Amino acid sequence: MSGELAFLASDVEAGYGDVQVLWGVSIEVRAGEIVCIVGSNGVGKSTFMRCASGLLPLRAGTIAIDGVDMSTASSADFVRAGVAHVPEGRRLFSAMSVRDNLLMGAYLREDKAEIEADLEKVYASFPILAERRKQDAGTLSGGEQQMCAIGRGMMARPRLLLIDELSLGLAPRIVDLLSDQLRVINEQGVAVLLVEQDVMNALELADRAYVIDRGRVTASGEAAELAADPRIREAYMGLA
Amino acid sequence: MIYFQVLANGLILGGLYACIAVGFSLVWGVLNVINILHGTFVVLGAYVAWFAYAYFGIHPFVSVVIAGAILYVIGHAIQAGLINRVIAAPVLITLTLTFGLDLMLNNAMLVAFTADYRQVNLANPLPAIIIGPVFLPGDRVAAMVLAFLLTGLLWRTLRDSKIGRAIVAVRMDREAAALMGVPVARINAITFGIGALMAGAAGALLSIVYPISPINAPIFLGKAFIVCVIGGLGSVPGAMVGGIALGVVEAFGAFWFGPEHALTISFGLLLLLLFVRPGGILGKKGYE
Repeated sequence: MSGELAFLASDVEAGYGDVQVLWGVSIEVRAGEIVCIVGSNGVGKSTFMRCASGLLPLRAGTIAIDGVDMSTASSADFVRAGVAHVPEGRRLFSAMSVRDNLLMGAYLREDKAEIEADLEKVYASFPILAERRKQDAGTLSGGEQQMCAIGRGMMARPRLLLIDELSLGLAPRIVDLLSDQLRVINEQGVAVLLVEQDVMNALELADRAYVIDRGRVTASGEAAELAADPRIREAYMGLA
Repeated sequence: MIYFQVLANGLILGGLYACIAVGFSLVWGVLNVINILHGTFVVLGAYVAWFAYAYFGIHPFVSVVIAGAILYVIGHAIQAGLINRVIAAPVLITLTLTFGLDLMLNNAMLVAFTADYRQVNLANPLPAIIIGPVFLPGDRVAAMVLAFLLTGLLWRTLRDSKIGRAIVAVRMDREAAALMGVPVARINAITFGIGALMAGAAGALLSIVYPISPINAPIFLGKAFIVCVIGGLGSVPGAMVGGIALGVVEAFGAFWFGPEHALTISFGLLLLLLFVRPGGILGKKGYE
């Protein structure tokens, strides 16, 4: 499950149709780290996450996991390599039960007994999901859906969890709860790459951070240092 | 009392309609492809049953398996080789593609089998079932039961099998399914194959009821279309409900107004439903 992980994206360029979104983005995640990508709306954070899980082909640059080139790999290859992507907006299978959603996360696994054990782990982390296991995922509240989406990601037994917008549209109490669970997941040896618009919360959670602006990495470093950087404070937190 | 007879006729017809429509509905719902080939697939299944009976004496009910298998292979190959290339294009593109393929396959069948009507005349038909005033031809009842069984089997497969779960997941959110590691292109091909399988199986069942000719293909396509709109798109229970509803309405329509008005009545029903309940009787809910 844990093992040494090195996720390395180098000079990634990507886009949609005539529009290029990412311009030479390089991001690294090492084993056991929580890394966050911060930036405003529409600067390419989600596009990068789509590249990092094989949904969107790269136009240039490379993505490698443990030194193995994944630049042309499929989403399934990324899952097998230990990357699980919790997409923006949760993207649960709304007319499937919570349990079936979680089991979809284990789609590529064959170890039935272990899958059941992991299911119990998810229920232990998020007891509300156990209560609602038979309910359609579409009937859950926003926070519960995010829990289900994270649980679904964990069901793949990832070494790296990509989370696109942890806190968007959720009450602060729920965000705290999810952040705590994310730390627990991380302590179990799962690296986390987190995309956030709530820069304050993200920098509090993360070890390191990258700032993306208009498709380019404009700053990077230790999260605490970035949080203290007056330019970052002014641009993203409204603090001088 | 005659109404019971009409109702029974309608139910038999409805079971077969459900079986015809369910594959069409699955393909439309999951792949967003309006498969114009579907009617021709049904006729091809009926031909498989006819040849198997005429040359090898294989009962059409056994041919359900053979026709299903052959049509699955054809369907899988068409999706994997052709439709998958344009699956992301607007629905009109895939519709045009299946329309073109239908022209080719249907005309190939006209050349190979001629437009002459053929029929499977069973040497040893099952005895009729007589319940009070209701007379039920045994083979038709058996065909209806098999049609319902097949439809039920498909429903269970979608609910309980790994492939089925993947198909349902692709239907709900294909990108999220890809993120789970579901090989979406292969699931597309399997889904289209299953749609063709159900069409072929339905064709084999129909071979003892309907005359067989390539020129009947648009009729079956039309029925599948109406059943989907009546029942709600992309769901097995929807196709079941829609099929039975259409069968019963047609039976009573034919009884009251004459069989020549059956199509008018079913399309009238279609129009009415589009006004009153455009989502179908079961609506969007019954995903599986």
